[in-house]
Amino acid sequence: MKDPAPLTTDHPGQVVSVTPPAPGRSRRLSDRWLAVTFISPAMLLLLAMSVFPLLWSLYLSFTDYSATRGGPAHFIGFGNYTAILTSAQVHTRALTTLLYVVGAVGLQTVLGFGIAYLISRRTHGRGVLTTLFLVPMMLSPVVVGLFWRFMLDAQFGVVNSMLGSVGLGQVEWLTRQRTALISLIVVDTWQWTPFIMLIALAGLSAVPKYLYEAASIDRASEWFRFRTITLPLVWPLLLIAVMFRAIEAFRLFDLVYILTNGGPGVSTETLSFHIYKVAFLGFNTGTASAYGILMVLVVIVLTQLYLRYLNKLKED
Amino acid sequence: MRFPKRIGQTSNTGRKVRLATAAMLLVATTVTACGDSKDDGAKTSAPKAPATIPELTKDPLTLSFIWFDWPPAKVLEDFANAEYKKERPNATIKVNTVPNANWHDAMFTQFAARKTDFDIAILDSQHIGEAVTNGNILDLTDFVKSNIDVNAYNPYLLAAYGQFPQAETGKRDENASLYGLPLLGDTWTMIYRKDLIGDKPPQTWDQMISAAEKCQADNPGISGLAFHQANGSDAAAVTYNTVNGVYGGNLWDPKARKIDGVLNDAAGQEAMDVLVNKMKPLTAKGSGNWFIDEVNAAVAQGKACIAFNWIAASGGLLDPKQSTLGTTREQILDKLGFATLPSQKTDLVPLGGMGMHVSAYSASANQAEALNFMKWFEQADVQKKWAAAGGVPARTDALQSPEFLNAGPFNNVYADSVPRMRDMWNVPEYARLVDIENTNVNAALNGAKKPKDALDDIAKEQQGVLDSSNRKGGGGL
Amino acid sequence: MAVSVDEAVSTGPARDHAPPARRLGGRGRSVLEVVLLTVLAVLMLFPVLWMLETSIKENRDVYAIPAKFFDFDVTMAHFKDVFVAPDGGRTALSVSFFNSVVVAGVSTLLATVLGVPAAWAYSRFAVRAKKDQLFFILSTRFMPPVVVVIPIFLMYREFGLIDNKLGLILIYAAFNVPFTIWMMKGFVDEVPAEYEDAAMLDGYTRLQAFWRYTLPLLVPGIAATAVFALIFSWNEFVFATFLTSSDSVRTAPPAIAGLIGGTTTDWGLVAASSVVFALPVLVFAYLVRKHLIAGVTLGAVRR
Repeated sequence: MKDPAPLTTDHPGQVVSVTPPAPGRSRRLSDRWLAVTFISPAMLLLLAMSVFPLLWSLYLSFTDYSATRGGPAHFIGFGNYTAILTSAQVHTRALTTLLYVVGAVGLQTVLGFGIAYLISRRTHGRGVLTTLFLVPMMLSPVVVGLFWRFMLDAQFGVVNSMLGSVGLGQVEWLTRQRTALISLIVVDTWQWTPFIMLIALAGLSAVPKYLYEAASIDRASEWFRFRTITLPLVWPLLLIAVMFRAIEAFRLFDLVYILTNGGPGVSTETLSFHIYKVAFLGFNTGTASAYGILMVLVVIVLTQLYLRYLNKLKED
Repeated sequence: MRFPKRIGQTSNTGRKVRLATAAMLLVATTVTACGDSKDDGAKTSAPKAPATIPELTKDPLTLSFIWFDWPPAKVLEDFANAEYKKERPNATIKVNTVPNANWHDAMFTQFAARKTDFDIAILDSQHIGEAVTNGNILDLTDFVKSNIDVNAYNPYLLAAYGQFPQAETGKRDENASLYGLPLLGDTWTMIYRKDLIGDKPPQTWDQMISAAEKCQADNPGISGLAFHQANGSDAAAVTYNTVNGVYGGNLWDPKARKIDGVLNDAAGQEAMDVLVNKMKPLTAKGSGNWFIDEVNAAVAQGKACIAFNWIAASGGLLDPKQSTLGTTREQILDKLGFATLPSQKTDLVPLGGMGMHVSAYSASANQAEALNFMKWFEQADVQKKWAAAGGVPARTDALQSPEFLNAGPFNNVYADSVPRMRDMWNVPEYARLVDIENTNVNAALNGAKKPKDALDDIAKEQQGVLDSSNRKGGGGL
Repeated sequence: MAVSVDEAVSTGPARDHAPPARRLGGRGRSVLEVVLLTVLAVLMLFPVLWMLETSIKENRDVYAIPAKFFDFDVTMAHFKDVFVAPDGGRTALSVSFFNSVVVAGVSTLLATVLGVPAAWAYSRFAVRAKKDQLFFILSTRFMPPVVVVIPIFLMYREFGLIDNKLGLILIYAAFNVPFTIWMMKGFVDEVPAEYEDAAMLDGYTRLQAFWRYTLPLLVPGIAATAVFALIFSWNEFVFATFLTSSDSVRTAPPAIAGLIGGTTTDWGLVAASSVVFALPVLVFAYLVRKHLIAGVTLGAVRR
């Protein structure tokens, strides 16, 4: 763990990329030394705080260890994994998480791109508009969750109050199976639409003017120009934003914790929320670790897809 | 856009070194984890507190409690600092509070860490089994024998906050071990609007429901009932357990460790039916996630005819600043009545409140001080002063004292309820049992599950938890 | 495609495709678009305004049905309640704000001190498997907090770091280092390596060249990066809630969340503390608005 050697190359010839070939051996050595001393502290922190804990989790995931009940940890092979993968409880949470991810990310992509498109067509006030739209994104999920819980309260919440004043009845936003999940999606969309908007806006601003000019000479329709010029050019960047949001949404915990506490019943419990219950209500540390490792595997696959795509985009 | 440049692939040697590092890490992990486990194995049962209180320190000492954030926590801190300091001037009392939702987690994660920032844990009666089995709190049996006058208490009340294995409802097993002493007694009170349903409280559960029904029909905008329905803490579970008790049901058969077939028998089904099909329709729309504060708010805003809440959490209802029912305490009391729960097939009421339990990981000077505090606290005159300060005592003489009975309009309710109390299971699996019940009752109340299915699921899943309790950390989904 | 966020965010003159829209769609369509944008902006901002309004309302107006939008009495009592306890002392909430300042500040400092040199090294030197390393670094940032908190909890209990500010500082630093490296590498890439080469030809060592020539040029980038790290640590909830239990360590997010679920909930107080809590973040975010895209994508997307 303390050996930072694998971080740098052993071949002196490859060490220096930007310095001219002239410098002698001492400089190359000092470069390598610099790289090691500059990189290894950060790497050590990551190894200690991210890699080591995950390996520990991996080990515990094959045992029946409990953080509170004591006694030695027994190896139970893949017992935890098969229990999780065959559990109907877990399948329910996976479906809830999937619905949430697809619903929330889908909605915020459409809205975010729409707003960005509208803003990009404005001449005046773009800066002010953009800044205002970005406010929700910077708020803590705690603040967002608490506040929406207040606004969505069926009795004195402002949302139902407004619905009432236009003659619509009260909606039980947080206590019905379907509306509770919709509420989660709406709140997440409220917070993260600005994220998609911001990135889509950057993409839209980068579409070269001459392409539009050429199109307008051809008297191409607006929709045709949007479909053949705007969308293809913005799409790669938009996809990055979407993937990024999907990874984040997959991990969702805090909003559920505050807004619905997983209710009604367990119908808005996400995978993260379920892991929390297994780990800290039952203190079934072994099971929770296996559950967590499975989630990490999904995250790693998603992240790999994301990073590969990011890289491909760069290379194009 | 800038991205890292592709520079060459990992060479074989580099990969080997990395693999070796990973392997070393894994070995280190295993060793640490195993070392940890051996350490655990040594203390699987609760350590014993001495029969006599060891010599107390003369140095300044802070005696820390952990409780959840509610008015009694503040009352306790002020009371103890004012009164206990007279006896022990060098001691300062600090009551740390955590949000109610984190109460169990905050205490047991610290227990799991084998290091607590509190000396006295104020455990819910149902937490005892988990704490005892894990060796987190001291065994007070010998200490109680030589320092506490056990005959001064209603036996079940004494057993409820300390005995493990759990006492039979209404009794105390004198041979069983005690791990705690009562701090604050509590039960549900029925809060009813005297101006809407009359001065006399309904006597049976059926009468209560019809009174609520009539009141709701007569007073548009006011709902008939308000009670705990949330899926967190023990909210919806206590509600179902209460109705279950009143309708003659049982939560489990402790001797046979049987839940499936007991909880969901005919009486249990009837209770669920009453709760979901008769009581729930009389509650406000969207009240499916209500707990203590929402029920209080509904009463204070004049939006409920009849409400159920914990006595210890009801003090705020008499505060004119938080109420729309009147501008003085007297005006509010003209409208609000507090009564013992109606009875139906039985007269059982839910046991609430908490006891004091000494952390096994606290310093020995602090443990000695904690024992001394508990002995002091359980004296007759101190219990009366605690009652006068707004606490709910446990000693029978204090419960019947004018200091207690005159301190609040709901204190008579408590005194009447003492012989009628019933508790949940205090087994080590409590946290999971209550979560299963909470989420399923909440689902039934909010239409996410049929009442019968919910009850059968509770029974089946809880039985599964009890049956797999010999497994340590596996299972638990 | 070398367009920066500045241009997207700035109040610049008419750009690119606005003119064709006007030519083809005409005035009616333009009005429709403005209306649509206004409606969306109101929808997005309404909850924030409602939070502000609730924080200055008397409690009886907070619960009023139908909701009161304009005709209410203004009070600053809730803001006073955030900081001053009824008995005149400091509230637990104000202590938690102070804890948040310490934890967010120190963890950001740590992440910056560790991350900036590493970013420079990754930018300047041909490190073996650099891309793999960088991707590995970034992927640690994507781990679900609820999963990480389980082994971290076990680890911290060995070291006595549970309910300890240092514990939170370390885990926040570990989550911010990947971000700092990715974000800063972009900034370092923008500074030509030739500056350092020139300095080295003048006889400076590589380290001196970095210190004297490159680092001063990086200061604005470091500031922006640190601000984003600060915002993350400030807003974080999961670790804060599971790794703290006492008032003296608890940071603001779990403390604010703890305001609901007692025997009474004072929504005015919740709103006021939310406003106090969110204000610094919004100010900081405004200061670094030029780097928002890189900031919110963990430095992975730069424009």
